[in-house]
Amino acid sequence: MKATCWMGRNTVEVENVPDPKILNDRDAIVRITSTAICGSDLHLYDGYVPTMKRGDVLGHEFMGEIVEKGKAVDNLEVGDRVVVPFPISCGQCWSCKHELYSLCENSNPNARLAEKMWGFPTAGIFGYSHLTGGFAGGQAEYARVPFADVGPIKIENGVSDESVLFLSDVFPTGYMGAEMCDISGGEVIAIWGAGPVGQFAAASAKMLGAERVILIDRFDYRLQIARENTGVETLNYEDVDSVPEALKELTGGRGPDACIDAVGMEAHFHGPLYAYDRMKQAARMETERPFVLREAIMSCRNGGIVSVVGVYGGFVDKFPMGALMNRGLSIRTGQCHVHRYMKPLLERIQNGDIDPSFIVTHQLRLSDAPRGYELFKHKQDDCLKVVLKP
Amino acid sequence: MAAHRVRARDKDPLAQFLGWFSIGLGTAQVTAPRLMSRLVGASGDGRAQLLMRIMGLRELTQGVGILVRPRPTYWLWSRVAGDGLDLSLLGLVAARNPGKRGRAAFAIANVLGVAVPDVFESRRLSRLEGAPRSAKLVRKSVTIDRQRTVVEAAWLGAEEVRRKIEKAEAKVSFAEAPGDRGTELAVEFLESPPAGDLGAAALKLTGKDLATELSDDLRRFKQQVETGEVVRSDSTPTGHALVGHLKQRPAQPVEEAVR
Repeated sequence: MKATCWMGRNTVEVENVPDPKILNDRDAIVRITSTAICGSDLHLYDGYVPTMKRGDVLGHEFMGEIVEKGKAVDNLEVGDRVVVPFPISCGQCWSCKHELYSLCENSNPNARLAEKMWGFPTAGIFGYSHLTGGFAGGQAEYARVPFADVGPIKIENGVSDESVLFLSDVFPTGYMGAEMCDISGGEVIAIWGAGPVGQFAAASAKMLGAERVILIDRFDYRLQIARENTGVETLNYEDVDSVPEALKELTGGRGPDACIDAVGMEAHFHGPLYAYDRMKQAARMETERPFVLREAIMSCRNGGIVSVVGVYGGFVDKFPMGALMNRGLSIRTGQCHVHRYMKPLLERIQNGDIDPSFIVTHQLRLSDAPRGYELFKHKQDDCLKVVLKP
Repeated sequence: MAAHRVRARDKDPLAQFLGWFSIGLGTAQVTAPRLMSRLVGASGDGRAQLLMRIMGLRELTQGVGILVRPRPTYWLWSRVAGDGLDLSLLGLVAARNPGKRGRAAFAIANVLGVAVPDVFESRRLSRLEGAPRSAKLVRKSVTIDRQRTVVEAAWLGAEEVRRKIEKAEAKVSFAEAPGDRGTELAVEFLESPPAGDLGAAALKLTGKDLATELSDDLRRFKQQVETGEVVRSDSTPTGHALVGHLKQRPAQPVEEAVR
């Protein structure tokens, strides 16, 4: 089959690789009908996530049709149309039973690697380095889905791929980012990053009852998409001297009740600090450029919540621990526990509360994946989300 | 309250560090005597090189002694004596090569720097009484989200691991995890490899030490009890094994299914 393979820094190629096979009784094979490039794939593309190997099949946002299943998968039939969540979860360990699916205790066969890096291992993830299991990803024609009796959600016909595909990652991830802000009505939420996750965090914060949502980015086209589709306020950070100052003045001197970091380890920034972190990161003396995290902490009101859904991998410098501690802030974070949100969010889509397809700006053939990565990385041609069709 | 003893031997990490330090320095002295002589401000001629090599052999011997012996008190004191010898030789070097006193001074500062932990550790070991304890108590445990009876029954079926554990005279215990979280399975054993820390390092490098093997085995056992299967990925088609971590295949579907 054809699959998008990581061939080194800034290089992906669509290669011929063997077709996936059932290895365990709880596996299923999915023929992929739609798959997307995620912002976090760009961290792999840019070479900032360790333990990638030349030839790794990428992709963790995909959906398709069950074409084969192991004998222990009894809730799905061959021919079913499914969306597959990006974390691989066994459904039977303590973490899964407590809906902490991205922390599944069993699904990462390279647990020891992750343990060395992070203290404890996390769940396996499709196409996302060997640290998260070394599973082949879904930017391909077929994928093997382990624990298929737990993850994939069945989709009835009559709804387009583009409307449900993002249940695999970015919609639940943005939703969880908003949910972690404890919104009960009347809050002001600031969100850094108007990429797909930031867009869904903004839409979800609105859905959950936030009174004002301020989305921050530097690309006007992305901010415009947000204004038109989610009705949020936007702030182009290149128009202001200081984001924390601007947010303070926009919120009557209080600061937002909660701040969502939907950017992660490769943030951009203007000012001398950017050069400092960029250099340290390039020299691999620091793994992240944590501008957004710093700004989110400095901007948040006293006693507020900083919700981090942007991806981080290692260590950050100049972390404002003093502000966090003295001002009583809480940090909430995590890789999304996608399984927890798929069903309720599918219902929201079916009810017409939201149509996630508004983020799609590019639809390409799978064979055009290399171009898709370039478009997305460099934000060319007003790119916000690339969907690939095998 | 129970007191948890996690280390049951005399040699602490500082002694281990000093042992490895001796080996590292000795190796440099023996293999690159010319460079090392120049580094300390000596001429680097044949005689200086010969002396450097001899000092290197001394360091190597001390290093091996410290790492192999369970309570290397005398080997540590021999390092203190070695520091004294090094200081007097460096004094001679400084006197004979006035042009390079900066280098000699730097080397002297380094010797003084390592002499402090040498004396500290030698005194610590000298104060220890009773028979030397060489073995390290290793404990590997895992929590399985199943009732104790279920876990115990499954353990009876895990013959391969059980045989390995019996051979190592390890102790297996089961306990109910707090908060209704299933069963804690713990394996405890005394690790005392031949040739002390040197042997332990060799085993660890090849991934053949019991502690590493057990962490793989317990992980697989948990997978099997909780999910009914051993989790396989494309890069790790045979399931969790630390030894394979460094030479994994790319995350591409395997040609043939491995069981």
